[in-house]
Amino acid sequence: MKRKLQALVVFILLGICKLPLEQRTATSLRSHEMLYAPLDYSARDAVGQMGFAATLGGLRSLVASITYLMGYTAFEETNWSRVDMLFGITTMLQPRFDVYWDDAAGHMAYDAASNYLYDESRPTLYRKQLYRENVQRGIDILNEGLRHLPKSDRLHTSLGHLYARRVEPRNHELAGEHYLLAYQNGGLPVMERLAAYEWAQLNNAPERWKQAYTILKRSYGMGLRAPGTMNFMHSLENKLNIPPALRMR
Amino acid sequence: MSSSYKSFSPSRIWALTMSTVTQLLRMRILVFLLVISVVVVGASFAFPTFNAAQQLKMLKDVCFGLEQLFAYVIAMVATALLLPKDVEDRTLYTILAKPVPRLDYLLGKLFGVLIVIGGGLVLLDIMLSGVLWIKQGYVLEDTLAGLHMQLGGTPPPEAIAAATADVEKQGLTWALHVGVLAIFLKASVLVSLTLLISCIATSTLFSVITSFCFFIMGHGETLFREYFFKGGTAWWQYLAAAVLAIFCPDLSLFDVVDAVTEGRAVLLTDALHMTGIGLLYTGGYMVVAYLLFVEKEL
Repeated sequence: MKRKLQALVVFILLGICKLPLEQRTATSLRSHEMLYAPLDYSARDAVGQMGFAATLGGLRSLVASITYLMGYTAFEETNWSRVDMLFGITTMLQPRFDVYWDDAAGHMAYDAASNYLYDESRPTLYRKQLYRENVQRGIDILNEGLRHLPKSDRLHTSLGHLYARRVEPRNHELAGEHYLLAYQNGGLPVMERLAAYEWAQLNNAPERWKQAYTILKRSYGMGLRAPGTMNFMHSLENKLNIPPALRMR
Repeated sequence: MSSSYKSFSPSRIWALTMSTVTQLLRMRILVFLLVISVVVVGASFAFPTFNAAQQLKMLKDVCFGLEQLFAYVIAMVATALLLPKDVEDRTLYTILAKPVPRLDYLLGKLFGVLIVIGGGLVLLDIMLSGVLWIKQGYVLEDTLAGLHMQLGGTPPPEAIAAATADVEKQGLTWALHVGVLAIFLKASVLVSLTLLISCIATSTLFSVITSFCFFIMGHGETLFREYFFKGGTAWWQYLAAAVLAIFCPDLSLFDVVDAVTEGRAVLLTDALHMTGIGLLYTGGYMVVAYLLFVEKEL
């Protein structure tokens, strides 16, 4: 009996002593993005009872992969609401993996939007409305992703592409901003040039034109003579009234 | 009793450890490992339509999921079987009738299970590393070929560097081995906890179910603990959170696998913190298990 009491005391003492250590370790691991905060109980409805139990069992990453595969199957069946729902769960389970956000946004802003746009069984106006709504959904997903991963060049690049190529009318200002952020966060040098191309197309924005011209001039200085770059540079020289002697050839 | 008798003998513990390993291997654990290996190799051919990063992540997710399944099932079920099986086979009486301290017996059981789990994880880690390395090579080749085709010529060096970095981030890294270590540490905690439960349990089923409950609650312990530190609204809620936080180990502290499969690097300090917590739980639970087992009527 004495030993049993001792066992209980040791067990409780261990339990009390471990609490601050656990708290400190959890805080340290979370600050280094090694651990996720526990899933909210409301997530149970989204991932289902089994999925929730699996995430509780430490299989969060595997469950995310499974919902991703299910989302991919739904994409093959062009079931867009299911694609959105399943990719939503995937990104909720692993919000720090930018590929998931990028794929989720891509499916909505490109696949779903185009599918609706070319679906001739619907009236034209409605098709266009669905196209716009799905492109906007893609933008919302990427913005949500950037809330978790503000330094992801992949997400900034994708958002830049959406503003530059998918939204109507094109948003050159935001497209340029995101391209530049992509470059500043480790993206390819071409991203910086894309930012300049976007800003070069703005109307009445001398500050942006100057910024764009500086970027293109630097690329020119590094030996880049691509026709696209040269066209935008000449257009900016005209807009900024650069004296002929200072213009690039 | 001879004068050369030692109350604590590493060689005696080692003999008990090896007998536990043999006992576990007779439970056909190697077949389980073989099935997992086949799935790992199969998974490396799957998902060819996905992009490079996603293909590699899927492979890691499947492999780590299987490694976890292997480690935790053995940790709970096999450990829960050990003591009752020794009683049933009357091996326990033969061992304890000799001058073998009960602590040595418990440590032999603990180390035996840990060697089997650790050995299995090392084998799976070697297999995953090999498969991942080969797949990484193929995926990189495909990505660069795609880049070549897309740009219609030799891609600029910075594009090649970025694509290579993307694939390498999701490929074989040192952090993956830290992920395996985390699985082993969590399994160690489960083994010691299940041994502790076995010492008071009257049946194998009770041990398995109770361990499983601790396993599930252990992943939600963070919620109880944070509620306890923040302070609850009602005193009984506060008390319940405190009791649960005290009684359950925080198993989610070992869940760095999620970050590792995302391609993040693990800091040495984080790995050390995790190891320290794992040793604390295992050591603490073994002390409690010993105190319960030393007086247990067999």
